[in-house]
This record gives sequence, C-alpha cells and structure tokens, in this order.
Amino acid sequence: MSALALRLAARELRGGLAGFRVFLLCLILGVGAIVAVGQVRAALQDGLAREGRVILGGDAELEFTYRHADAQERAWMEDRAAAVSQVTAFRSMARLPSGDAALARVKAVDAAWPLVGEAQFDPPMTVEAALSARDGVPGAAMERVLAERLELAPGDRFLLGDTEFEFRAVLLREPDSAGVGGFGSGFGPRLLVREAALAEAGLIGPGALYEVAYRLLLPGADLAAEKSAAETRFHDAGMRWRDARRASPGSERFLDRMATFLVLVGLAGLGVGGVGISAAVRAWMERKTATIAILRSLGASAGLVRAVFGLQIAAMTALGVTLGLALGAGLPLLAAPLLAPVLPFDLDFALDPRALAEGAVYGALVAALFALWPLARRLGVPAAALLRDIGPGARAWPGAGSVIAAGGLLGALAGAAAFFSARPMLALGTVAGVGVALALLWAVGAGLAVLARRAARGGLADGRPVLRTALAAVGGPRSEARAVVMALGLGLTVLAAIGQIDGGLRRAVATDLPARAPAYFVLDIQPDQLAPFSERLAGDPLVEKVQTAPMLRGVVTRLKGRPAREVAGDHWVVRGDRGVSYAAAPPPDTRIVAGEWWPEDYTGPAQASFAAAQAEELGLALGDTLSVNILGREIEATITSLREVDFSSAGLGFVLILNEAALRGAPHSAIATIYAPPEAEAGLLRDLTRAFPNITLIGVREAIGQVARALGQVAQASSLAAGVTLASGLVVLIGAAAAGEAQRAREAALLKVLGASRRTILASFALRAALMGAAAGVVAVALGLLAGWVVIDRLMEAEFRPALGPALWVVAGGAGANLAAGLVFALRPLAARPAGVLRAP
Amino acid sequence: MTDPVLALDDLRLTLAGGAGPVEVLRGISMQVGRGQSVGLVGPSGSGKSSLLMLMGGLERPTGGRISVLGRDLAAMDEDALARFRRDNMGIVFQSFHLIPTLTALENVALPLELAGAGDAMARARAELDAVGLGARTHHYPAEMSGGEQQRVALARAMAPRPAILLADEPTGNLDAANGAAIMDLIFALRDRHGATLVLVTHAPELAARCDRVVRMADGQLAPEEAPAEAATGADQ
Repeated sequence: MSALALRLAARELRGGLAGFRVFLLCLILGVGAIVAVGQVRAALQDGLAREGRVILGGDAELEFTYRHADAQERAWMEDRAAAVSQVTAFRSMARLPSGDAALARVKAVDAAWPLVGEAQFDPPMTVEAALSARDGVPGAAMERVLAERLELAPGDRFLLGDTEFEFRAVLLREPDSAGVGGFGSGFGPRLLVREAALAEAGLIGPGALYEVAYRLLLPGADLAAEKSAAETRFHDAGMRWRDARRASPGSERFLDRMATFLVLVGLAGLGVGGVGISAAVRAWMERKTATIAILRSLGASAGLVRAVFGLQIAAMTALGVTLGLALGAGLPLLAAPLLAPVLPFDLDFALDPRALAEGAVYGALVAALFALWPLARRLGVPAAALLRDIGPGARAWPGAGSVIAAGGLLGALAGAAAFFSARPMLALGTVAGVGVALALLWAVGAGLAVLARRAARGGLADGRPVLRTALAAVGGPRSEARAVVMALGLGLTVLAAIGQIDGGLRRAVATDLPARAPAYFVLDIQPDQLAPFSERLAGDPLVEKVQTAPMLRGVVTRLKGRPAREVAGDHWVVRGDRGVSYAAAPPPDTRIVAGEWWPEDYTGPAQASFAAAQAEELGLALGDTLSVNILGREIEATITSLREVDFSSAGLGFVLILNEAALRGAPHSAIATIYAPPEAEAGLLRDLTRAFPNITLIGVREAIGQVARALGQVAQASSLAAGVTLASGLVVLIGAAAAGEAQRAREAALLKVLGASRRTILASFALRAALMGAAAGVVAVALGLLAGWVVIDRLMEAEFRPALGPALWVVAGGAGANLAAGLVFALRPLAARPAGVLRAP
Repeated sequence: MTDPVLALDDLRLTLAGGAGPVEVLRGISMQVGRGQSVGLVGPSGSGKSSLLMLMGGLERPTGGRISVLGRDLAAMDEDALARFRRDNMGIVFQSFHLIPTLTALENVALPLELAGAGDAMARARAELDAVGLGARTHHYPAEMSGGEQQRVALARAMAPRPAILLADEPTGNLDAANGAAIMDLIFALRDRHGATLVLVTHAPELAARCDRVVRMADGQLAPEEAPAEAATGADQ
C-alpha cells in the first residue's frame, strides 16, 4: 500500500460523507445490535457468576423429593458446613374463611433463611417480623398479585390447609430465586412461611408433592470435591446437587439460547444492511467514473486505483464499525432499567471484549463482502470505455481474483459465525439461510421485473399511462425491484415467520386447548378422600366428567438393563422425575395399540404399560425392561402393552402405568381432572377447598392464559429483534428512494411536458412502490407460512392453519413501507418546475 | 397579425442565482402567426431557451403576459398547463429527454395514452416508421445512438399532431449529418401537419430555413431580420 494511494484516498474523502450515509447507517445498526446483545449477555453471565451464592441461597444445595433428610443425613451436612438452612417448596391453596381460594407456590423456610443475601418486604421489615408467630398466629409474606387476588391487607388472616396465618407484608425480592421453588418451578405466586408453622397444617404428609432443599455455607471449600463427596454419601438416595459455580443452569441455558438467537437475528440485519452497502458502493462508484477514467489515463496502475478506492471503503468501514460499537455499548445502559425489576441481582455493564470483537468482525466482513463486488465490477472497466461512456452504464465481470476473494470472505464470515456462536451449526445454518433467502429474494425481484416487462409488452398497459410508467420503472433498465425486494423482504420474512408461529401456538394453546381441556387439575387428594371427593362431584349437575388416578413421582433410571441416560440421552422422559400411576384395569378411553393389559387381579412380577409414541422415540418394544425409582425404591418392570396418550389435551396422561400390585403399598396421593363449564369454576373452587383443605386446584384456564401470555412475550422479544432487520431494510429503502430522487424528478418533469397531471404522476410513483413492496411482502408471507408449517405441523405435530391477519399485515406493511419511502422522496420532484429540472445537465 | 398563435407582451423572467437575482428576460414582446416558423437565434445566455420554456408553460414569467392559442398561460395551474401542452404542443429538447425506462415505442405512445387515444400504440408505430425507426420499436434509449434518440423524441412530439412545435437546439448534441437529417425531418413534418414552429438554434443555416428569424441578446429582442441575412451569422 503506497503512500501515494493513501494520499489520493485522503483527497477523495475530502468531499465528505454524503455518499456514504446509507453505507454507514446499515453498518452502525447491524454492528450496534450484535454488540448490544453481546453486552447484555455478558452482563447477565457476569451477574449469574458473581451472585451465584446469593441466587442459590448458599454455596451448595442438596435437594430431596417428597422427603426430608433423616437425622444421619442432616448430621453429615452439619459436619461439613459452617451453616445449614432448610427450605421446603410445594403448591397449595391459600384460602379465606369466606371460601375464596387461590393457588400459591409455598416456600417454607427455617430461622437460618436466608443464609446469603437479603429478602425485601413492603412495608420494610425483617424476616423474623414477617414470619414469626404473634399472638399464636404465624406470619406470612406473599407476592403482591396473590394479596390482591385474596384482597388481603397487612394484618388480615387466611388459611393454608387447616392452619391460620397472618398476612404481614408483600414479598418484593427473594434472594435465592434460583434455588428450589425458584425459576421455572411452575404456576402461581409465591407465599413465604416458616416451616415450623406448617407442621400442623397437614400439607406435607405421605404422598404429598413437595421438595426439600438444604443450603450449605462452605467457606473456602473445593466445591467440586464437596459435590463428589455428597454424591458418594447420598448415592441412590434421590439427592440432586447444585452449587454456586453454576447456580442456575436453567437460566444460563436460556440466556445462551436467547443470546445466540438474538445475535443471529442481528446477523440477518447485517445481511440486509449488506444490500444497502452494496447499493451505496455501486452508486458511489458510478459518481467516481470520471475520476477513475482520468486517473487511469494519467498513468495510474490498476493496482493503485484499486488501492485508492479500497482504502476509502476501508476507512468508511472503520468509521461505521466504530460508531456501531459505541451504539452497541451504549444501548444496554438504556435497557438496564427495564431488566432490573425481573432480575434477582444488579447488572454491571463493563465493556465486554468478546461482544465488541464479535460486532467488529461481523461488521468488517459483511462490509468487505458486499462492497467487493460493485467495486470490482467498476474497476474492471478499461479506461477508454469509461471515458467514452461517462455515465452509469459501464461495468465488467470482476475477474477470478475477486470471485476468490468473495469466496474467502464468505468462508471467513461462516467461520466467524461458527467461532462466536454457542451453537455453531445453528450459526452456519443462519448464515446459509440468510444467503439463500437473499438469493431467493433477488430472484423474485428479477422475476418481478421480467413479469412487469412482459405485462407492459403484452398490452396490459396499453392506454393506461399510469400503469405503463409504473411497470416500466419496475421492469425497465436500472430497475429498483431487486434491491427493494431484497432490502424489505428479509426483515418482513422474519416478522412473517414470527407472526405465523406465534399465531399457530396461540391458537393451539388459547383456542383449541380450552375446548378440550378440563376446568381443574386437582393434586394431593389423599387416598381416604378419593371416595367423598368423587361423590361430591357426581352430585353436581354442572360437572361433565371427572377422572382420577393414583399419582406417584419416579425417575426412570434404567431402560433395557442399561442406564436410562445412556439409552435415551436427553429425552424428556428420562430427564428428572415423572408422574407414574398404577391401575388394575385400563383407565377409561385407553387405546392399547400393542400387547395386552394385565389381568385385574394380577400380582406377579411388575408389568408396565408405556406411551406408544415415546416408546418408539426411546427405541422400546414389548418385552423390554425398565427400572423406575420411586421414593428411593427401585422397581423393575417389563413392558407388556403400549398405549396412545394425548399429552396435548391437558387431561390425565401418564407415560408409565404399572400394575396395581407393584405400587399399591407405596405412600401416594391421587390426582383428578374435572371437566366443567367456565361458569361452574368459581363454585367448584370454593366448595372443594372448603371440604378438602389440603388439596390443590390448578385452574387450567388460568394456566393456559399464563402460557399464552408467556408466548406473547417471547413473540414480542423476537419481534423486537426482527425490528433490527426491518430497520436495516428501511434504511436501505430510504437510501434507494433518496438515490432515485433525481431520476424521479426528471421523469416527473418529462411527464409534465407530455401532458401528465400531478395526480397521474403521483399515482404512477405510488403504484410502482406498492408493487415492489407488496412483492417483498408476498415472498415474506410465503416463507413465513413455510416456517410456521415446519414449527407447528412438523415439530409440534399440531394442526397448522395459516394466520391470515398477520400475513395480510406483512404484505400491507411491505407495500406501505415502500410506498411511504417512495412518496416522501416523490414530493420534491412533483413540486419542481419542469424547466428547472430539464435545464440541469 | 390576425389571431396570433403566440402573443408575448413585455414578458419578463428573473431567476434566483447564487450571486443574487438574474434578469434572464427583460421585456419581450412578439407575436407568431398560425403555421409560421420562427428561428430564435442569439449567443449563449441570451435567453433563447428560457423564452422557449415560457412559451411551453414549463416556466412561469415574473412579469408581462403570454398567451398561447388565445389562452393566458399565467392563469393556468400546473395541471392545466400539462393538459394544455398535451392537447396543443410538441416539444423537442437538445438532450432528447426520453424516459429511460420506456422503449422507443412506449416513449412515443405515452403522450397519446395520456390524451386517452385508443389507438396509441398503432399511431406510435406509424410515427416511428415515419422517422425511419420502425425496426427499433423495442429498444430502450440507452441502446440507441444520439441521432436515433432525437428521432424518437421528434416522433413523440409530433405524434399527437400538435398545433405548435417547440424545438430547443434539437441538433445541438448531434454530428452534422445526423443534425441535418433531423432538421429535414422537422421541416418535413411541420410542412405535412401545418404546425407552428419555434426553433431555438445556434446554426445560422437552420435559422435561415424558417419564415422569420428573431435574434436575442442579453434577454431582449434585436430588430428582426430577413432569413437570408440570418444565414450569414446567426450567432454573432
């Protein structure tokens, strides 16, 4: 790189940045989005690592299902730890004497809680003041939503089981939200009480569904060594270990996935920006034709000219990337107040080198890739040809060197995506997907141009000057169709896909499901309550159907004689504990598809009936054995029948049912589903919770509502990310519309000369913009429908019906956005006097 | 002169320039009769093209009156002016000014379509045949030479059979042979259709082919001369 090239490039750049506005904006937006996501991810990861002890509630946690540690186990913990705290979590109904009741996630803590961090209450008070007994009545704190639902004010009393509690304060922040009963532990607002107060409530008996966690303070301990010691001590005791090194693996996984997804959406945005970069470089090179020709004719070598223009692009790229990095580093500071209320710790936004490097590398590679082609095509034209044709026409095949360079840049981009992403295959798939989508959109743009040309030639436009000029602009020389369809299409495609998937999921969850789902799902029915429970409901004319089943929880430990994880990997059936039931006869509506159900009085070796679809996924067949650990007891059973189970109806569906004799002796409770119309729900809730204070009713309608709301939030976050792609697309559109302003001004002036009114001219401009925008929208909807079908029909195996509303919005949005961009830049040409425009060179 | 096609009375035009207002036309008064051909000559910057723009309603005067076919152009809005041009005028420019996205045939058909003619394409084809471009109907302007583009522009201007043909240095961008061919075409078409012609030119021999030659200097008209005198030096 010679000093001369640098000097010439610097002189050229003195003209200012006017021609680079779109180039810079595209780069800044794309890089900024990627860096912002990376910065937030880094801050959250940092927070999780830093506050690991606090959000776990100690250095380590040992968790048991449906039981407390026995005295020896507890002594082992107290031997090793500086302090031990016990937390019990389960679901129950908080009731008012009047009969009103609401589901709550109860967390019962001991006097040592919290070992680490602080709980916050409104009004401010200590844990002791909030929970300890006063006048013989224990205290309780709860989330505001629960207090509001039960219309409780501090000092009011309510029932949990048979025990009375006094509501003392609203729970604002629980430090150990990642521990047991924390993130992802199910529906219902939190209710905090003292464990000692529960003893009389009769809620934690045999067969009740609860979890107990012991948090340990292990100052200075080697957590890895502690973990292995605990696993040795509690082998086969159903203990789960977690420690502060990875306090919340679920949150980490979610964070990683979300960040990977958002960075990839940012990359798609940068891809759209690439279209703008390419168009901007092409326009800029056209303006530089005379300079190139003159440099060549004065004796500058092709290499020098390449260096001069390459350096200018490099300088602009450096500027765009730098501003993008600044934007990306600054944006999270604005987002911090939005995240603060939902996080159990404060975010600390330090500059994250990895996020900055990721944005810079992507930005530089995309800019180089998309600038290379128009640069090379123009620089390949011989000087004589340039001088002969100082205008926009001359372009040449850029040569093998440029093709190799483009290939190298594409390879580097794919390599960078794979390197930076936690999921390399997904990243490579995204790069390939963006490439294929852009190629497809280019083809559709080109196809639209050909169609427009054919339509005009075929006589469609005869006698219709508005249509003729519009079709000519879409299909004629220097058509904007390809650029517009590419710029708008990709962003709209992402939006359309989100719209279709979101629409499909919502319909499945919020419309189709409630039609078939029960009104209530009932837990914790004790065996002796089952008969009066069923009788009571049988006498209620509003109840349509009641199904009950015994319910135990068990972990599938072995399949076909081998450890289950080895056979099934991470399949959900072997992940954690599952509901297991038993029955003498097939439950009503059972459809056995293979094998035979055991005789009703069967008492031989344990037999199992397995869900047919899951058996197929796990490679299980009739005659295979499986082991399930229930309350510490290992039961081996042979699969003797396969059943069809519909898990999508929210009814009673067990993957695994054993014969009655195998499980009858184990302590357990029963669950039930009650089918009733919505108007019967409130009465049922009041009646059943009053009659059976210990049972828990989960309102399916409310749970479905929560799922639908959560889906809505995910769709909203995804739409926001898609907004980056769309914003890049709009910048490209506006850039294209602005660049075409002079051409439109000339056309408007000429049309006026020939006798066209302003309305005719405006109609022509609007029609061409709407045609191109609608074409982008139609492609986007087609790709969105494909994505929706793949997710809903193929992945979720539900019926996919296109969401017409979002589809129409996308097409209309595409046409509207392009129309708006086109019309804004048509106003000046329309208003200009023809003489002024035509006089200009 | 009875019933003039063009009547200009003390016509003035002042344009905003970088160094302040510039008086482009300073009180032009003249009349052109039906079927007449007028050559407008004068040095660069004398105001010839601006005068032609005013005659075509493409620019608005800052003073005086201009009436075309008895209609006061100053009283018409932009759209009315466009309609008036569509029905009565053909204009040919030095830079051809074809619409680059339309083929030759479409360029010629466009003013006919704007006028609502049902046979626009057939008439446009005939018009291209008349200027010798019947074989190039589907070519875009960028695919044609300057001479060919100007012939398309001429066909476009004449296709609606206008009462008035305004030509602004129509041979200015062409070589001598092409320029001569274009001028022959202009006069042939004018003779055939009887249009009134106003021709701005630097070429004295072209001005000499007109019925009248009007010389301009510094935004004003010089005394009229006979076409034969003009042939000796239109630009001096």
